[in-house]
Amino acid sequence: MIHFYHVTKKFDRYSTALHDVTFHIEKGEFVFLTGASGAGKSTLLKLILRQIVPTEGQIVVNGRNLAAMKNSQLPFFRREIGMVFQDFKLIERMTVFENLSFILTVLNVAPKEHKRKAYSALRAVNLHHKLNSYPLQLSGGEQQRVAVARALINDPLVLIGDEPTGNLDPELSMEMLKIFSEANLRGSTVLLATHDRELIRNSGRRVITLDHGRVTEEKIAAPERAPRPDSLFGIASS
Amino acid sequence: MARELRHLDEPEVPSNTTTYFFKEAVRRIWTSKRSSFVAISMITMSLLILASFMLVAENLQQAVLRFQGTSRVNVYFDPDATPEQIAAVERYLGAHADLRSHHFVTRDQALAKFRSYFANVSEVVAQIENNPFPPSFEIDVTPATTQSRNFEHEMAQLRGFAGIEQVQFDWEWLARLRRLVGIINIAGVIAGGILAVAAAFTIANVIRLTMMLYREEINIMRLVGATERIIRGPFVFEGMLQGLIGGGVAVAILYGAFHAARHALAPAHSLLWGFLFTTFLPWQKVVALILGGTFAGWFGSWLSVRERAEES
Repeated sequence: MIHFYHVTKKFDRYSTALHDVTFHIEKGEFVFLTGASGAGKSTLLKLILRQIVPTEGQIVVNGRNLAAMKNSQLPFFRREIGMVFQDFKLIERMTVFENLSFILTVLNVAPKEHKRKAYSALRAVNLHHKLNSYPLQLSGGEQQRVAVARALINDPLVLIGDEPTGNLDPELSMEMLKIFSEANLRGSTVLLATHDRELIRNSGRRVITLDHGRVTEEKIAAPERAPRPDSLFGIASS
Repeated sequence: MARELRHLDEPEVPSNTTTYFFKEAVRRIWTSKRSSFVAISMITMSLLILASFMLVAENLQQAVLRFQGTSRVNVYFDPDATPEQIAAVERYLGAHADLRSHHFVTRDQALAKFRSYFANVSEVVAQIENNPFPPSFEIDVTPATTQSRNFEHEMAQLRGFAGIEQVQFDWEWLARLRRLVGIINIAGVIAGGILAVAAAFTIANVIRLTMMLYREEINIMRLVGATERIIRGPFVFEGMLQGLIGGGVAVAILYGAFHAARHALAPAHSLLWGFLFTTFLPWQKVVALILGGTFAGWFGSWLSVRERAEES
């Protein structure tokens, strides 16, 4: 579903965000992308959405080589991807409902359907009572959940989250992970960029780790066992 | 379930976008009231000037047509012209088909006409002892006749007859009036055209400014899959709406001014200004003016949105 082949992204001679990155995410997978701040997570996500183009290498998403895609095809490609941006990217002058309704207008959903679909998407993130609020009237966590609702409203083929739990408390973070998992069960391929180790731990999902623009590790986040005690019944093990 | 893959080139024309474009355009005009006011005022001013010229030209044209419809040639004889000389002229008129509609006016008939026309100055007229009016022929001619080359030739021949003092026909005046109508029309088109282009550029700048204000929002729209058509549509509608409103306001102002002027100049209506305030612009020209404003608005907004903004 998402394939990176030796992708390098340089912003200038001295700044290389990604070095020769190769990985593959298959259809229906749920993958975490992790790494410290500045590791290249956001750059990688921008490349998937073709907000930016790679300096070298090839990217194939949903079977489409992004380098060969015409500009006129880009909007239709992006409609297949639900993206939760780190800075939410909600339109401030529009209400929560209008933010969601706009997507439905873009997707040519009949206006009479907008309210029902928006309500349903907001109910999934437990924000259905904020339908007529403006983004600036919401807390950071609430804005983030609206952004998630917007990304999910179209049942996307690929769901991408850029630090989608960054502004949420642990309880809400787990709730958000549950929402992403449900989308995954409905058939969306999910890629979540996060540095929240608690979220990844015990998830049993594949984790791709970036460090200074390179993929340093790919593993399954297996549930950790409790550490073995040093002694049993007070008898030190030899 | 998540949707299946489909062709990216699949034509997609959202049916509900026109309503969205219109609502967004109205909202943006309302949000940027000041800049919209400037753009609408510019369109209004340019169309008002153009429409004023058109109105004057229209009324002059109407005057010309009215005059042409009742064109009359007066052939005045010397007071001492002989009956043979008069008979010769009558024969000439009878021989020319376009001058056949004529009748002779004796000196007494001319005096009687004068008295009937100026009954309010009857005391002065009564004091006239000797009849000063010469005998004459009144020839009714059609507008088509007056515009033919042959007509000028016939008039020149009539002037050459013995006993004729003057051949009076106001076709030169009409020709001058017609030229004036042409000049006013051209001046109106030039002045209105220049101002309309200026107005279109003002609208272009207003839309450009609005697009800059909405830059972040446009980027978001692109990221969620909005096509350029959906992004640009509201801006194009905004320009068109500004032009439409400007055109409508210009026509309304002109209509109000036209009736106010008619009312204010009513006492002198039939004498000096009558021919200038006879009729308002026909509906076809009113529609053309409003559509012209809409077109200027569309052109201005098209100038702004045609360059695809840089990808975010």
